[in-house]
Parts: sequence; C-alpha cells; structure tokens
Amino acid sequence: MEEIAYSVHPIIVTLVGALLGAGYFAFLRWQTQVGSVNISLLIGAISGALGATLLTAPLGYCMFQADQKSEDILVGWIAVALGLLLTLNIFSNLLWRYFRGQRLLPRGDTTPGAFRGRFGLLYALAVLSPTILVLIYFVYLPMFDTLRFSTFLARFGAPRTRFICVSNFSRMLSDVDYHSNLFLSFALSFGIILIAMSLALLIASMLNQPIRGANLYRTLLIWPYAISPIVAGSIFGLLLGTESGIVNRVLDLLFGTKVPWLVSIPAAQISVVLASVWNVIGFNILFYTAGLQTIPKDLLESASIDGASAWQRFARITFPLLSPFTFFLIVTNTIYAFFDTFGLIFVLTRGGPTESTFTAMYRVYVTGILASDIGKSTAQSLILFLIVVGITIVQFRVGQRRVQYGNY
Amino acid sequence: MTESASSRFVFDPSAGKHRPLWRRLIPQRWYAHLILITAVVIITFPMFYALLISTQSNPEVYNHKFTPGTMFFENLHTVMVQRNMGRFMLNSFIIALSIAVGKTIMSVLAGLGLVYFRYPGKWIVFGFVIITLIMPGDVLLIALYRRVVSFDAWPHPYVALTLPLLASATGVFIFRQHFMTMPPDLSEAAQLDGASPLQFLFRVLIPLSWNTIGALMVIMFLFGWNQFLWPLILLRDQDLQVVQWGMQSLTQNLEVGDNFGPMMMGVIITSLPPMIVFLILQRQFMKGFALTRDK
Amino acid sequence: MIGRFALKLLILVIALGALVPALAQDVIELEAWVAFSDHRYDWAVDTAERFNALQDDIHVDMVSVVDYDTIVNNYTLGREDGNYPEIVQLFDAALQFAVDSNWFSFAEEIIGGREEVLGHPVNFDDIIPVISNYYTVDGVWASVAWNTSTPIMYYNVDMLEQAGISELPQTWADVLDACAALQSLVDDGTISACASWPFSGWFIEQWLAQQNEYMVNNENGRAGRATEFNLDTDAYRAIAQFYRDLYSNGYFIFEGQDQWGPPTQNFISGKVAILMSSSAAARAVSEGAAETGFSLDTTGMVYNQDAPSGWVGNILGGATMWISNGLTPEAEDAAMAFLLFFSNTENSASWHTASGYVPVRNSSIELLQNLEPGNELLWDIPSGARVDIEADDWYAAFPNFLTASTQLGNSTVNNATRGSTYGTFQQSRPYYNGLVEDYMLNGGDLDAMIEDTNATLTELLQEYNFLFADE
Repeated sequence: MEEIAYSVHPIIVTLVGALLGAGYFAFLRWQTQVGSVNISLLIGAISGALGATLLTAPLGYCMFQADQKSEDILVGWIAVALGLLLTLNIFSNLLWRYFRGQRLLPRGDTTPGAFRGRFGLLYALAVLSPTILVLIYFVYLPMFDTLRFSTFLARFGAPRTRFICVSNFSRMLSDVDYHSNLFLSFALSFGIILIAMSLALLIASMLNQPIRGANLYRTLLIWPYAISPIVAGSIFGLLLGTESGIVNRVLDLLFGTKVPWLVSIPAAQISVVLASVWNVIGFNILFYTAGLQTIPKDLLESASIDGASAWQRFARITFPLLSPFTFFLIVTNTIYAFFDTFGLIFVLTRGGPTESTFTAMYRVYVTGILASDIGKSTAQSLILFLIVVGITIVQFRVGQRRVQYGNY
Repeated sequence: MTESASSRFVFDPSAGKHRPLWRRLIPQRWYAHLILITAVVIITFPMFYALLISTQSNPEVYNHKFTPGTMFFENLHTVMVQRNMGRFMLNSFIIALSIAVGKTIMSVLAGLGLVYFRYPGKWIVFGFVIITLIMPGDVLLIALYRRVVSFDAWPHPYVALTLPLLASATGVFIFRQHFMTMPPDLSEAAQLDGASPLQFLFRVLIPLSWNTIGALMVIMFLFGWNQFLWPLILLRDQDLQVVQWGMQSLTQNLEVGDNFGPMMMGVIITSLPPMIVFLILQRQFMKGFALTRDK
Repeated sequence: MIGRFALKLLILVIALGALVPALAQDVIELEAWVAFSDHRYDWAVDTAERFNALQDDIHVDMVSVVDYDTIVNNYTLGREDGNYPEIVQLFDAALQFAVDSNWFSFAEEIIGGREEVLGHPVNFDDIIPVISNYYTVDGVWASVAWNTSTPIMYYNVDMLEQAGISELPQTWADVLDACAALQSLVDDGTISACASWPFSGWFIEQWLAQQNEYMVNNENGRAGRATEFNLDTDAYRAIAQFYRDLYSNGYFIFEGQDQWGPPTQNFISGKVAILMSSSAAARAVSEGAAETGFSLDTTGMVYNQDAPSGWVGNILGGATMWISNGLTPEAEDAAMAFLLFFSNTENSASWHTASGYVPVRNSSIELLQNLEPGNELLWDIPSGARVDIEADDWYAAFPNFLTASTQLGNSTVNNATRGSTYGTFQQSRPYYNGLVEDYMLNGGDLDAMIEDTNATLTELLQEYNFLFADE
C-alpha cells in the first residue's frame, strides 16, 4: 500500500484506449474481411477512447493522479477495461451491421402475429409504461442515489461526506477477508444450487410417476418454501445447536456423538447450505414437476420401445426437454443463494465461526445496514452486482446454446 | 411393434392384472414411494418439530420432550392476542394480495408490449426490465425510502409501501415467455376482426392465460407476505405493521430468555396463509409454468 | 325542509370541526419509540397509560420499533423528513452517535436546576452513580436511564456441591478450578460440560473495565474524543487467553457469536453448571431453574485475579431515553416529566420485577426491601398487568435479583467503568469479539492478530471522526 511517485495523464489513458480499440477493430476487419479498413480503424479508435474515459472521466481521472496508491491505479485500469468491454462490443456490433448493410438496430423478435400499424411503438410504450416508470423511479433512481456513495467516505446520519476516489474499491483488492467472503459466496452458492436442483429433480421425477398420494407428497414437500429465510434460520438454530439442538440430542442418544453444526468448519458451512437448500427446494420441486408434465409421454414411450433404458430416456429426452426449467431455476437459485441467504446466515451463524460463513452479501448487510458505513457497503454491493451480472450473462450465453424450447 | 412388446416396458395400466403375488403386496413403483417418504420425512421434520414446540412450555423445550406439550392454547393466545398477530396477518394479507394483483396486471401488460409489437430495440427494453432481477433490493432501501417520502401526498401508507414493489422482472419474463408460445394465428385472426391490442389481450390472451396468472399470483403473494425490511423502515404506525414484523417481535427476547413455544407457534401460523393460497391455486401452478410450446 | 336541516347540520359540523382542534391544541401529544416488542413493551405501554391518567393535557404514545439498530436507522431517516418521535430509546452503543448528531436536548439542560418538572421530582442524587455517570457527557446529564443491566454469573448449586465445590467462583481462576472439579460429572454423563454462555462483545468490554483498562484512547473517549483503539493491552490478551484456556480444556460449550438462546437453554436444562449472562435474564433463568428443579445461585461477573488493579467495577449495559431537540418548551417539559415518572421509585422497581433489569434508583431498592400489601409492583407477564408482590422483602424472596445492583453499587466510578464512548461502537464489536473467538478456537499469534485488528478499528474510528467531529 505504499505511495507511488508516478501518475498517468488522462491523455495517455485515452490514447491507450484508442490504440486498443483501433487494434481490436483492425483484428475484426481482418477476421471478417468486410468493410473499409480506414473507417474500422477510425471508429475503433474513437470507441476505444470513449471506453477508456467512460468510467474514469466522471471521476476526474482521480485514480491516475500522483497521490494515489498503486491499488487505485490498478482499479483505474480495471475501470478502463470495463468501459472498453462495453463500448467496443456495442460499436463493433453497430459498425459491422452497417458494413453488412443491415439495420443498425435489430427489429427485435420478429414475433409471428405482432400487431401491424404505425403506432406500434407508442402502443407498446403505453402498456409497458407502468412497469418502466415504476422501475425507473423506484429501482433505477434509488440505485443511482446509492451508487453515488461508492466513491465516497459516507456514513448514514453523518453531517458530511468525503470524495475518496476509488479507495472503497482498491481497499477490496487488498482485503484478504473480502476475497474469502467472495470465494465463500461462490462456493456456498454452488453447493446450494447443485444440491437444491438435483434433489428437486429427483423428487419431481418421483412425483411425476403415476403413484398414489402424489398431491399429498407434493404439498408436504413444498411447505418450507412458504417460510422466509430469517424464520428458516430460527428453526435451524433450534435444530442445530451443539448442546441445545434436537439433532445432536438424537445423534447423542443413537450414536453417542455430537456434531458442532454451527461452530466448526466445515460443519457450519454445510449447515448453511443445507438450511438454504431446505428453504428453496420447494420452489425447485414445483417448477420441475410443472416441467415434467410438459414432456410428451409418447416420445418417452417410443424411446422405450426402441430399447432405451430409463437412464437413457432421462439423459437423452427428459433432461434436455427440461432445459428451459433448469435454466430458469439456475438463474433464480443463483440470485437466492447470492442475495437472499444473508438473513438466514445472520440468525444461524452470524457469519461464524471465524468468518467461515461470511458471504459477500452478508458483508454488504453488516457494513451497510448494521454499521451504517454506506460508502464501503455500496462499493461492495456494486462489485457483487457486477459479478452476478457476469454470471447471468454467461448463463444466458450458455443457455441460448443449450436450452431447447420444444418445437415438435 | 406388437401390443405385448410395449406393455412389457411401460405405460400399460392393464399390466397390473397379471402381476404375481409379491408384486401385488409391494406397491408398484415402491422405489418412488421410498424416495418420496424419505424426502418428506427429512424436509418436513423441521416443520413438525416447530409444530411440536408450538405446544410446549420453555422447560419442555429445554428438556427435548418428544410429546405434544401442555401450552398449545396459551401459546396461541400469546401470539394472536398479546402480540397482535391476527392484526398483522390481516395487514400482510391485504399487502400481499395487492402486490400479487398489481404485479400480475403490470406484468401481463408488459408482456403484451414485449411480444405483440414490432419496434427497434425491443431487447433493450427487455434487458432494462430483466436486469432489475439482480439488483440487491435490500441495499437500496434507504435511497428508496427517501424517494418515496419526497412525495408526501400518499393516500395511504400501504400505497407507498406497495407501489414501488409492483414492477416484476420475474412476471414480465414469464408472461413474455408465455405469450411467445401462443399460436400466431390467434392475433392474426384478432387483427382481421379489427380488434385492438387491448381487446385482443382481454378477449383472447387472458382467457388463455389463467394458469400462468394463477401460478404467478402464488409466487407474488409469497413475495408480499415475506416483506420485512421495507415495511420496517417505511411504516411508522405500529398497527399497520406486517406479519414478519410480528415474527421478529416473537423472536426478539433473546437476552431475557427465549419463548420457543410462541415463536414456533408464530412460524406455523404465519406459514399457513401462503400454503392455503398455494393449495387453492395448485392446479394453475402446475400447468401455468409450462415454458414450452406444447402444453 | 331538507335544505334547512342540511344547513343546520353543516353549521354544526363546521362548529364541531372548529372546536375539536381548539380542544386538541391543549393536549401535548408525545410519541416514544422503544426497541422492545415483547412483555417489556407491554410494561412500557401500561406505564405510559398510568402517566396519561395523571393529567389530561399530556398524552404519551408508546411505539415499538422492534430492535435497537432499527430505532437508530429509522430515527436518522425520520430526522430527514420530520417524521420522528419526541422521545426515543437509544442503546449504549449509540451514545457517541447521539451526542455527535446534535439531535437531542440533554436532560440536565431541560431541567435547568429545577427540583421537579410539572410535579415530578428530579432527585438526581438518588440514581445509582455508575448509571448516572455512564450517561453523563462532558459533565452534563444527557439521557434518562431505563433498561439497565450488567452481566452476572448463574450457578447450578446442586452440580457444584456434587463436585465438592462449596464456594461460588469469584475469579477466572476459580472458574477454571471449578471446571476441573466438575470434570468428574462430565465424565459420568451428569452434565455435558462445565460452562456455556453467550459469546458476546459486551463481556469483553466488561472485563476490560474490571481490569481498569480502556477500550479506546483518551480515557475511553471520556476525556476527549477517542481517536485510536487500545486493544494492545495485557488486559485484552488476558481475556483471549482465559477463553482459550476454558475452550481448549473442553470446559466451555461455544454456541456461536452473539447467540443468547442456546447457552441459556444449556444451563436451564442442566447440561452445564455455569452460565454467565445479563442480569436481565434473571427472571427467565430463575423460573427455568425452578421448573427444571435445581437450586440456583448468582454472583457478580467473575474477574481476572491477576489484574494489577484487582476488580475495579463493571459497566452497565442497556439503553436510555433521549428527548429530541427543537421541541417547544412545554413539550420538552412534558417529555421530561414523563421520563421522570417513567423512572421514578415505584416504576423503576416494577420494571425491575418484569425482567431483572437493575432499578436505576437507590430508593427503588429500598422500596423493594420494605414492601406493603397493595404495592402493585410485580409485572405479571401472562396477564400483562401489575399485581402485588406477595412478600415483605423482594430481595429476601428472590436474592438473585440483588446481585446486579450490588455489583453496580460496589463499582468504582472512573473512566474505565463508565465505559467507552466512540462512534464506531456497533461496527467494532464483531471485530474485537471475533478476534477472541478466532484465538479461542484456533490459537495463533495473538500479538499479530491484535496489531492487525487494532489498526483496522483505528482506521474505521478515524473515518467516523472525520465525518462527524466538529471541524
């Protein structure tokens, strides 16, 4: 964290962006062999310069000034990279559409059956406006209000704030605790999603069999879904106390052993995963049961006639046809695991023992809501937001390739 | 393939008639029952334990009694009368229902706007809506509060409470998906009849969407029912508070000694309304989330 | 006809409409926010109603805001849009914030040297010194104490006797010795372990004060604004080592940070012989022990026998009632009168019976020792009403309720036992508590851990000061 003596002039930042942009567009031009080389280079340089300044100029290039620490400069370059990622993608897309003589904006989904007429856009805006207005005023504006604080030293109720450039972010770069919070978020989320979805699929497959009492089974199995995470945490707290919990009481009677469920590693992490799985699995069972009913019976039947085993039928027909459901559940479960489990963690383990269940969202909650340290908290939540956006984009990319929307 | 060949594999209800005795004694698909019973035992155990505790006194809980306790009515009285849970449940029911209805109406309209019109940049609108799914709402509450109270002519605090929650990314996603699987002939025919998009929505789309609407209502009702932090910050009149607030008040006396019975009574009672809503709309739910073209 | 009737009706309505505000203007409406929502809230409502019944022109409305953190957040937000109460209950950790915010009128300034406010006597000297000193800022009495507690020890006497321990442990060494003796009961399965208690940062603060040590510099922030953390002390090391000794010998059942329910449950169900908890748990633990069927005894919080200072005293915990500034003088007096009533001799005594929170006045203790029939002091939780204490001397009947008052009464008042005041109290607790937890569970290089945490906490504190301190 020592101070460093050099600074990076804004012009250099812009030039670096322009060079990278021009290089990338030249590469695209060489790859596609479409369009004018000069225009590619020009637009590439412009969009590169734009990308480099997009996130740095609004902060007055503060992270590149002489009084900043090396971490701040690193954050600056990351901001440049993010900006470039955004502008280069958009402009290359637009430019090559132009080169190929396509419309600059796609007409959207060419949905069969869309209404014809000149006022389509106006009409669409009218029916979309309730949702869009509510989102702008009650989601986007509060978000911008909040994100503003990510470059400030700010506390709730304080008479003043202080602009501290990207210190809130560069602090995270060097904060080992925060890294382990992030890693933990990934690990726990992965565990929650994997277990909650595979068990749900197994159970839903059983529910889909023509058996008696399927309705009763289903009702009992989705009950935990009606419980909020905080309350789920209180119930599991009663179950899992080392000495006070009923689970250890039973284990003690049967096997003469007790597991420190909430106060040892990795038992505490497993407990958090299992409690979350318990909380969310009803939702997954519901969707998978609904999904399984959409799979045409005759398809399975003819496959079995052709000699496919139960496993083969599942792997080659059922699972692929369930992919829209799997995809939807992965997205919603990711959001649950990253964002909604903090209430459960708060009640169950307080992030302990020794921060072994301290997820990134729990950190946001503790820093922002309990400790009123708004600047750090919003910077942390912004990072978390970018990460989940990244995960979701990847999921959508993979999803578009893999998800099969039935067309038979 | 002959008929006998197919019956040897699956899907022939008549196959049971020729089963040997041991087959008739053990239920068919015993493995399914086995797995489901195991799952039910594990998944419902916490709830049944909560149910058990809700009848017990503190010493009975402390000493891990496995039999129903003596305090059922006392605990019920504590929760419903002393801690005013009946009132909170009514409040939450009103809020959750308003949210469910409002979200559904707005999502249906948005779904219409995203599917049945042609205009450039449609994916931008969709992305604008869908990305809000990932925004950590709890972090934004203080900023949201400031936005909401900056307008001080709200007719009722519940309007201020519910309106910001009425846009639903999940709802828009599901209705968009649902409308996209509708046969295009429907709207073609409606256009030939000279129907406007809204007429088409009310006369054709909605009657065909009751299952999806019912399914979404279940999820949205639960979303409204589980609201906690937002009402906690916004509502200043205690009598207007919600059911999760009541739950918090039942769990709060940690320092001075837990009251496990009333707390678990609260868990059980407050989980009943969402369960009832689900049971009523169960059929719609199962059918409503068919995301493929074939229903 | 109808028209004339309607006209009369209209005039009547207008006249009434004009009359109602005129009448209402004379009543001072006060809102009080409290952080309780259980039987303690019921007690507060009942007491406010008793106050309202005393006069027609002041009406106090008790509002429950669930917990301490939410109160601070909601009050802060309310200050922005004018939607805040006249009286608010703030917990000890918010003391510095309450002072820095400049949102409150100090009690002593409102009273302005009067002997009584609207007929309610002040009697400041009657308040137990360590309590009044905690909420004295720069020599000025700031807020009115209400729920005040201090940690005490709860012992299962039957178990101690079975292990051959006749004297209740007073020091850390006594606890370790008792635990060694109790090991025989653990071995034969009578109990699961020696001790279990909530792993709370509050106990660390207490143990620092007992050893006459400061949490932050400038004498705990009492001699001037605190600017640095002071964890690098023998006193803090000793606490970490004590926990390490307890835990590594298997004497201590750890149920997680800030979990208050499970350790209490372990004690009441007879699985451990020693519990340390808030005096506010006295009622629940006494009732639980009676129902489980073991004899209970209490002592003051155990202390470090090796500290050079010996036992100096304990800090109090809990919360006090603050009066918002900017009220009219009449409203200010009304609020002050209510708080004086709220904490007067009888109400303070009754409040004590509801939970085990310490009576803040010496006269309340005397009252509880000399009871008359018809005293109406005992708070009956199930019915939510005050009933008679059927004893001549409450403390003779329930001696465990006196332990906390004795502990606070014996405490030397200095800047260690007045407790620390600094802006990042709530934020820092998990750090200095977590460090001890880490060392207890895993051991390690204590010096390096302390250096690291001390630097982090000092940085946070200086950030707070930068934003809040007067320039």
